[in-house]
Amino acid sequence: MSELAAYVSLGFRHITDLEAMDHILFLLALAAIYRPRDWRDSLWVVTAFTVGHSLTLALTVTGALVLPTRVIEFLIPITIVATCVENLVVRDRERALWGGRYRPGLVHGAGFANYLRSLFVDEIALPLFGFNVGIELGQLVVLALAAGVLAVVDRAFALATVRPGGAVLRLRVIAVSGFVALIAARWAMERSPF
Amino acid sequence: MGAIVPLFMALAVHPLHTTLTQLAYRDADRSVEVTVRVFADDFRAVLARDVSDSAAAAYLRSAFTLTDRAGRPLAVVWCGMKRTGDLLWLCLRATAPGGLSGLRVRVALLFDRYEDQINIVQAILEGQRVALLFTRGDASKPLTRPGGAVRTPLLF
Repeated sequence: MSELAAYVSLGFRHITDLEAMDHILFLLALAAIYRPRDWRDSLWVVTAFTVGHSLTLALTVTGALVLPTRVIEFLIPITIVATCVENLVVRDRERALWGGRYRPGLVHGAGFANYLRSLFVDEIALPLFGFNVGIELGQLVVLALAAGVLAVVDRAFALATVRPGGAVLRLRVIAVSGFVALIAARWAMERSPF
Repeated sequence: MGAIVPLFMALAVHPLHTTLTQLAYRDADRSVEVTVRVFADDFRAVLARDVSDSAAAAYLRSAFTLTDRAGRPLAVVWCGMKRTGDLLWLCLRATAPGGLSGLRVRVALLFDRYEDQINIVQAILEGQRVALLFTRGDASKPLTRPGGAVRTPLLF
Protein backbone atom coordinates (compact mmCIF):
# COMPACT_ATOMS: atom_id res chain seq x y z
CA MET A 1 0.00 0.00 0.00
CA SER A 2 1.19 3.52 -0.66
CA GLU A 3 1.93 5.80 2.27
CA LEU A 4 -0.98 8.08 1.38
CA ALA A 5 -3.41 5.14 1.30
CA ALA A 6 -2.14 4.03 4.71
CA TYR A 7 -2.82 7.41 6.29
CA VAL A 8 -6.25 7.70 4.62
CA SER A 9 -7.06 4.25 6.02
CA LEU A 10 -5.81 5.32 9.47
CA GLY A 11 -8.12 8.35 9.53
CA PHE A 12 -11.09 6.40 8.17
CA ARG A 13 -10.72 3.60 10.73
CA HIS A 14 -10.24 6.07 13.54
CA ILE A 15 -13.45 7.97 12.90
CA THR A 16 -15.63 4.94 12.16
CA ASP A 17 -14.48 3.13 15.31
CA LEU A 18 -17.03 2.98 18.13
CA GLU A 19 -14.37 4.50 20.38
CA ALA A 20 -14.92 7.77 18.48
CA MET A 21 -18.41 8.04 19.94
CA ASP A 22 -18.23 11.77 20.67
CA HIS A 23 -17.51 12.51 17.01
CA ILE A 24 -20.22 10.10 15.85
CA LEU A 25 -22.84 11.57 18.18
CA PHE A 26 -21.88 15.07 17.09
CA LEU A 27 -22.54 14.13 13.46
CA LEU A 28 -25.89 12.64 14.53
CA ALA A 29 -26.78 15.98 16.17
CA LEU A 30 -25.72 17.89 13.06
CA ALA A 31 -27.93 15.71 10.85
CA ALA A 32 -30.89 15.67 13.24
CA ILE A 33 -32.63 18.76 11.81
CA TYR A 34 -32.82 17.56 8.21
CA ARG A 35 -35.55 15.60 6.45
CA PRO A 36 -34.48 12.77 4.10
CA ARG A 37 -35.24 14.99 1.09
CA ASP A 38 -32.89 17.67 2.47
CA TRP A 39 -29.84 15.39 2.37
CA ARG A 40 -27.91 17.92 0.25
CA ASP A 41 -28.22 20.50 3.03
CA SER A 42 -26.83 18.03 5.58
CA LEU A 43 -23.87 17.37 3.26
CA TRP A 44 -23.20 21.11 3.14
CA VAL A 45 -23.29 21.28 6.93
CA VAL A 46 -20.82 18.44 7.28
CA THR A 47 -18.65 20.12 4.66
CA ALA A 48 -18.67 23.32 6.72
CA PHE A 49 -17.68 21.25 9.74
CA THR A 50 -14.94 19.66 7.66
CA VAL A 51 -13.53 23.03 6.63
CA GLY A 52 -13.21 24.10 10.27
CA HIS A 53 -11.87 20.70 11.27
CA SER A 54 -9.18 20.70 8.56
CA LEU A 55 -8.13 24.27 9.28
CA THR A 56 -7.51 23.70 12.97
CA LEU A 57 -5.92 20.30 12.42
CA ALA A 58 -3.42 21.89 10.06
CA LEU A 59 -2.74 24.90 12.29
CA THR A 60 -2.28 22.78 15.40
CA VAL A 61 -0.20 20.02 13.85
CA THR A 62 2.17 22.51 12.27
CA GLY A 63 2.55 24.27 15.62
CA ALA A 64 0.99 27.55 14.41
CA LEU A 65 -1.74 27.10 17.04
CA VAL A 66 -1.03 25.66 20.47
CA LEU A 67 -4.00 24.37 22.46
CA PRO A 68 -3.70 22.34 25.68
CA THR A 69 -5.19 18.85 25.25
CA ARG A 70 -7.21 19.12 28.48
CA VAL A 71 -8.91 22.29 27.27
CA ILE A 72 -9.66 20.80 23.84
CA GLU A 73 -11.14 17.64 25.34
CA PHE A 74 -13.39 19.80 27.53
CA LEU A 75 -14.45 22.07 24.64
CA ILE A 76 -15.43 19.19 22.33
CA PRO A 77 -18.48 18.10 24.40
CA ILE A 78 -19.31 21.78 25.00
CA THR A 79 -19.60 22.31 21.21
CA ILE A 80 -21.82 19.22 21.00
CA VAL A 81 -24.14 20.59 23.69
CA ALA A 82 -24.17 23.99 21.93
CA THR A 83 -25.14 22.35 18.64
CA CYS A 84 -27.98 20.45 20.33
CA VAL A 85 -29.24 23.62 22.01
CA GLU A 86 -29.13 25.40 18.64
CA ASN A 87 -31.15 22.53 17.15
CA LEU A 88 -33.81 23.04 19.81
CA VAL A 89 -33.88 26.84 19.77
CA VAL A 90 -33.28 27.86 16.13
CA ARG A 91 -36.14 26.68 13.98
CA ASP A 92 -34.96 28.34 10.77
CA ARG A 93 -32.87 25.70 9.01
CA GLU A 94 -31.21 28.25 6.74
CA ARG A 95 -29.88 30.06 9.78
CA ALA A 96 -28.69 26.80 11.24
CA LEU A 97 -27.04 25.90 7.94
CA TRP A 98 -25.03 29.08 7.45
CA GLY A 99 -24.90 30.27 11.04
CA GLY A 100 -21.42 28.99 11.73
CA ARG A 101 -21.54 25.20 11.77
CA TYR A 102 -17.88 25.28 10.88
CA ARG A 103 -17.05 26.55 14.37
CA PRO A 104 -17.47 23.24 16.22
CA GLY A 105 -15.21 21.73 13.57
CA LEU A 106 -12.51 24.16 14.64
CA VAL A 107 -12.47 22.55 18.10
CA HIS A 108 -12.81 18.93 16.98
CA GLY A 109 -9.90 19.23 14.55
CA ALA A 110 -7.59 20.18 17.36
CA GLY A 111 -8.48 16.95 19.17
CA PHE A 112 -6.38 14.75 16.86
CA ALA A 113 -3.63 17.22 16.23
CA ASN A 114 -1.47 16.70 19.28
CA TYR A 115 -1.15 12.97 18.61
CA LEU A 116 -0.19 13.47 14.97
CA ARG A 117 2.34 16.18 15.78
CA SER A 118 4.05 13.98 18.37
CA LEU A 119 4.23 10.85 16.23
CA PHE A 120 5.15 12.35 12.85
CA VAL A 121 7.55 14.87 14.24
CA ASP A 122 9.84 14.98 11.18
CA GLU A 123 7.41 14.67 8.24
CA ILE A 124 3.92 15.88 8.95
CA ALA A 125 2.47 17.00 5.58
CA LEU A 126 1.55 13.65 4.00
CA PRO A 127 0.27 12.00 7.21
CA LEU A 128 -1.78 15.12 7.97
CA PHE A 129 -3.33 15.26 4.50
CA GLY A 130 -4.06 11.53 4.32
CA PHE A 131 -5.43 11.33 7.86
CA ASN A 132 -7.77 14.24 7.19
CA VAL A 133 -9.04 12.77 3.91
CA GLY A 134 -9.72 9.50 5.77
CA ILE A 135 -11.54 11.36 8.55
CA GLU A 136 -13.77 13.13 6.04
CA LEU A 137 -14.56 9.93 4.11
CA GLY A 138 -15.39 8.28 7.44
CA GLN A 139 -17.68 11.17 8.30
CA LEU A 140 -19.66 10.61 5.12
CA VAL A 141 -20.16 6.95 6.09
CA VAL A 142 -21.23 7.95 9.61
CA LEU A 143 -23.62 10.52 8.13
CA ALA A 144 -25.21 7.83 5.93
CA LEU A 145 -25.66 5.60 9.00
CA ALA A 146 -27.05 8.57 10.96
CA ALA A 147 -29.65 9.07 8.20
CA GLY A 148 -30.70 5.45 8.72
CA VAL A 149 -31.03 5.91 12.49
CA LEU A 150 -33.03 9.12 12.00
CA ALA A 151 -35.36 7.36 9.55
CA VAL A 152 -36.09 4.71 12.20
CA VAL A 153 -36.75 7.43 14.81
CA ASP A 154 -39.09 9.19 12.36
CA ARG A 155 -40.96 5.96 11.73
CA ALA A 156 -41.41 5.38 15.46
CA PHE A 157 -42.77 8.90 16.00
CA ALA A 158 -45.01 8.64 12.91
CA LEU A 159 -46.60 5.51 14.37
CA ALA A 160 -46.98 7.11 17.79
CA THR A 161 -48.36 10.52 16.80
CA VAL A 162 -51.75 11.48 15.42
CA ARG A 163 -50.32 14.51 13.60
CA PRO A 164 -47.55 13.31 11.27
CA GLY A 165 -45.49 15.60 9.01
CA GLY A 166 -43.77 18.59 10.60
CA ALA A 167 -44.62 17.34 14.07
CA VAL A 168 -42.59 14.19 13.51
CA LEU A 169 -39.51 16.19 12.50
CA ARG A 170 -39.85 18.42 15.58
CA LEU A 171 -40.25 15.43 17.87
CA ARG A 172 -37.19 13.83 16.30
CA VAL A 173 -35.10 16.99 16.73
CA ILE A 174 -36.12 17.24 20.39
CA ALA A 175 -35.48 13.56 21.10
CA VAL A 176 -32.15 13.21 19.30
CA SER A 177 -30.76 16.59 20.40
CA GLY A 178 -31.87 16.03 23.99
CA PHE A 179 -30.31 12.57 24.09
CA VAL A 180 -26.99 13.69 22.58
CA ALA A 181 -26.88 16.87 24.73
CA LEU A 182 -27.37 14.84 27.90
CA ILE A 183 -24.45 12.53 27.10
CA ALA A 184 -22.20 15.40 25.98
CA ALA A 185 -22.98 17.38 29.13
CA ARG A 186 -21.84 14.41 31.23
CA TRP A 187 -18.59 14.26 29.19
CA ALA A 188 -18.06 18.00 29.75
CA MET A 189 -18.44 17.57 33.52
CA GLU A 190 -16.07 14.59 33.49
CA ARG A 191 -13.40 16.46 31.51
CA SER A 192 -13.78 19.88 33.14
CA PRO A 193 -10.37 21.40 33.86
CA PHE A 194 -11.90 23.76 36.44
CA MET B 1 -31.12 5.79 29.61
CA GLY B 2 -29.38 5.14 32.94
CA ALA B 3 -27.47 2.19 31.52
CA ILE B 4 -26.75 3.73 28.15
CA VAL B 5 -25.11 6.92 29.41
CA PRO B 6 -22.27 5.14 31.30
CA LEU B 7 -21.72 2.93 28.23
CA PHE B 8 -21.25 5.95 26.01
CA MET B 9 -19.10 7.61 28.63
CA ALA B 10 -16.78 4.62 28.64
CA LEU B 11 -16.48 4.92 24.87
CA ALA B 12 -16.13 8.67 24.85
CA VAL B 13 -12.41 9.30 25.11
CA HIS B 14 -10.78 8.21 21.88
CA PRO B 15 -7.10 9.04 21.68
CA LEU B 16 -5.23 7.91 18.61
CA HIS B 17 -3.71 4.55 19.59
CA THR B 18 -0.95 4.09 17.07
CA THR B 19 2.75 3.43 16.68
CA LEU B 20 5.12 4.11 13.82
CA THR B 21 7.79 1.59 12.79
CA GLN B 22 10.39 2.58 10.20
CA LEU B 23 12.59 0.04 8.42
CA ALA B 24 15.82 1.36 6.90
CA TYR B 25 18.24 -0.81 4.93
CA ARG B 26 21.96 -0.22 5.47
CA ASP B 27 23.98 -1.32 2.46
CA ALA B 28 27.26 -1.04 4.36
CA ASP B 29 26.58 -4.07 6.56
CA ARG B 30 23.49 -5.45 4.78
CA SER B 31 21.32 -4.98 7.83
CA VAL B 32 17.87 -3.61 8.58
CA GLU B 33 17.56 -0.94 11.23
CA VAL B 34 14.13 -0.92 12.84
CA THR B 35 13.03 2.24 14.66
CA VAL B 36 9.75 2.11 16.58
CA ARG B 37 8.04 5.26 17.81
CA VAL B 38 5.57 4.62 20.63
CA PHE B 39 3.82 6.96 23.04
CA ALA B 40 5.62 6.67 26.36
CA ASP B 41 2.47 6.45 28.48
CA ASP B 42 1.11 3.57 26.36
CA PHE B 43 4.40 1.71 26.55
CA ARG B 44 4.76 2.24 30.27
CA ALA B 45 1.26 0.86 30.78
CA VAL B 46 1.86 -2.28 28.74
CA LEU B 47 5.14 -2.93 30.57
CA ALA B 48 3.51 -2.47 33.97
CA ARG B 49 5.65 0.66 34.47
CA ASP B 50 8.96 -1.23 34.09
CA VAL B 51 10.48 0.68 31.17
CA SER B 52 13.96 -0.76 31.63
CA ASP B 53 16.06 -1.71 28.59
CA SER B 54 15.64 -5.42 29.26
CA ALA B 55 11.86 -5.22 29.70
CA ALA B 56 11.47 -3.00 26.63
CA ALA B 57 13.67 -5.28 24.50
CA ALA B 58 11.83 -8.42 25.60
CA TYR B 59 8.43 -6.91 24.85
CA LEU B 60 9.53 -5.52 21.49
CA ARG B 61 11.01 -8.86 20.43
CA SER B 62 7.72 -10.57 21.28
CA ALA B 63 5.63 -8.03 19.38
CA PHE B 64 7.81 -7.47 16.31
CA THR B 65 8.73 -10.21 13.85
CA LEU B 66 10.69 -10.08 10.63
CA THR B 67 10.99 -13.17 8.41
CA ASP B 68 12.88 -13.83 5.20
CA ARG B 69 11.33 -14.87 1.89
CA ALA B 70 11.34 -18.52 2.96
CA GLY B 71 9.49 -17.72 6.18
CA ARG B 72 12.49 -18.07 8.49
CA PRO B 73 12.55 -15.50 11.32
CA LEU B 74 15.48 -13.09 11.24
CA ALA B 75 17.41 -12.70 14.48
CA VAL B 76 16.91 -9.18 15.85
CA VAL B 77 19.30 -7.40 18.18
CA TRP B 78 18.27 -4.67 20.61
CA CYS B 79 20.11 -1.43 19.95
CA GLY B 80 18.66 0.84 22.62
CA MET B 81 15.96 3.44 23.20
CA LYS B 82 15.64 7.15 23.84
CA ARG B 83 12.85 9.52 24.85
CA THR B 84 11.86 12.82 23.22
CA GLY B 85 8.77 14.54 24.64
CA ASP B 86 5.83 12.11 24.71
CA LEU B 87 7.59 9.57 22.48
CA LEU B 88 9.88 6.63 23.06
CA TRP B 89 12.17 5.64 20.16
CA LEU B 90 13.05 1.93 20.27
CA CYS B 91 15.74 0.35 18.09
CA LEU B 92 16.25 -3.17 16.71
CA ARG B 93 18.70 -4.41 14.10
CA ALA B 94 18.69 -7.55 11.91
CA THR B 95 21.00 -8.92 9.22
CA ALA B 96 19.23 -9.24 5.85
CA PRO B 97 21.67 -9.95 3.00
CA GLY B 98 18.90 -9.99 0.36
CA GLY B 99 17.58 -6.52 1.13
CA LEU B 100 14.16 -5.41 2.35
CA SER B 101 12.00 -6.33 -0.62
CA GLY B 102 10.00 -9.52 -0.03
CA LEU B 103 10.68 -9.74 3.70
CA ARG B 104 7.60 -10.30 5.83
CA VAL B 105 6.91 -8.14 8.85
CA ARG B 106 4.42 -8.16 11.70
CA VAL B 107 4.02 -5.45 14.34
CA ALA B 108 1.68 -6.50 17.17
CA LEU B 109 2.64 -3.72 19.61
CA LEU B 110 0.00 -2.86 22.20
CA PHE B 111 -2.66 -5.15 20.69
CA ASP B 112 -2.89 -6.73 24.13
CA ARG B 113 -3.76 -3.31 25.58
CA TYR B 114 -5.97 -1.43 23.07
CA GLU B 115 -8.62 -2.92 20.80
CA ASP B 116 -8.36 0.01 18.39
CA GLN B 117 -4.55 -0.07 18.20
CA ILE B 118 -3.19 0.50 14.66
CA ASN B 119 0.52 0.05 13.96
CA ILE B 120 2.04 1.74 10.92
CA VAL B 121 5.13 0.42 9.14
CA GLN B 122 7.13 2.56 6.72
CA ALA B 123 9.95 1.42 4.44
CA ILE B 124 11.71 2.47 1.26
CA LEU B 125 11.83 -0.27 -1.41
CA GLU B 126 13.87 0.37 -4.56
CA GLY B 127 13.51 4.10 -4.01
CA GLN B 128 9.76 3.98 -3.41
CA ARG B 129 8.17 4.66 -0.03
CA VAL B 130 5.65 2.03 1.09
CA ALA B 131 3.52 1.58 4.18
CA LEU B 132 1.65 -1.21 5.94
CA LEU B 133 -1.04 -1.03 8.61
CA PHE B 134 -1.50 -3.65 11.32
CA THR B 135 -4.60 -4.09 13.43
CA ARG B 136 -5.39 -6.76 16.02
CA GLY B 137 -5.48 -10.24 14.48
CA ASP B 138 -3.39 -9.37 11.42
CA ALA B 139 -0.81 -11.93 10.30
CA SER B 140 2.59 -10.96 8.87
CA LYS B 141 2.60 -8.99 5.59
CA PRO B 142 5.16 -8.86 2.78
CA LEU B 143 7.16 -5.73 2.07
CA THR B 144 6.41 -5.02 -1.59
CA ARG B 145 6.07 -1.93 -3.71
CA PRO B 146 2.43 -0.90 -4.44
CA GLY B 147 1.28 -3.06 -7.36
CA GLY B 148 4.42 -5.17 -7.12
CA ALA B 149 4.46 -8.94 -6.61
CA VAL B 150 6.46 -10.80 -4.00
CA ARG B 151 9.38 -12.66 -5.54
CA THR B 152 9.43 -16.16 -4.09
CA PRO B 153 12.76 -17.95 -3.86
CA LEU B 154 13.60 -20.34 -6.67
CA LEU B 155 13.62 -23.94 -5.54
CA PHE B 156 15.51 -25.37 -8.52
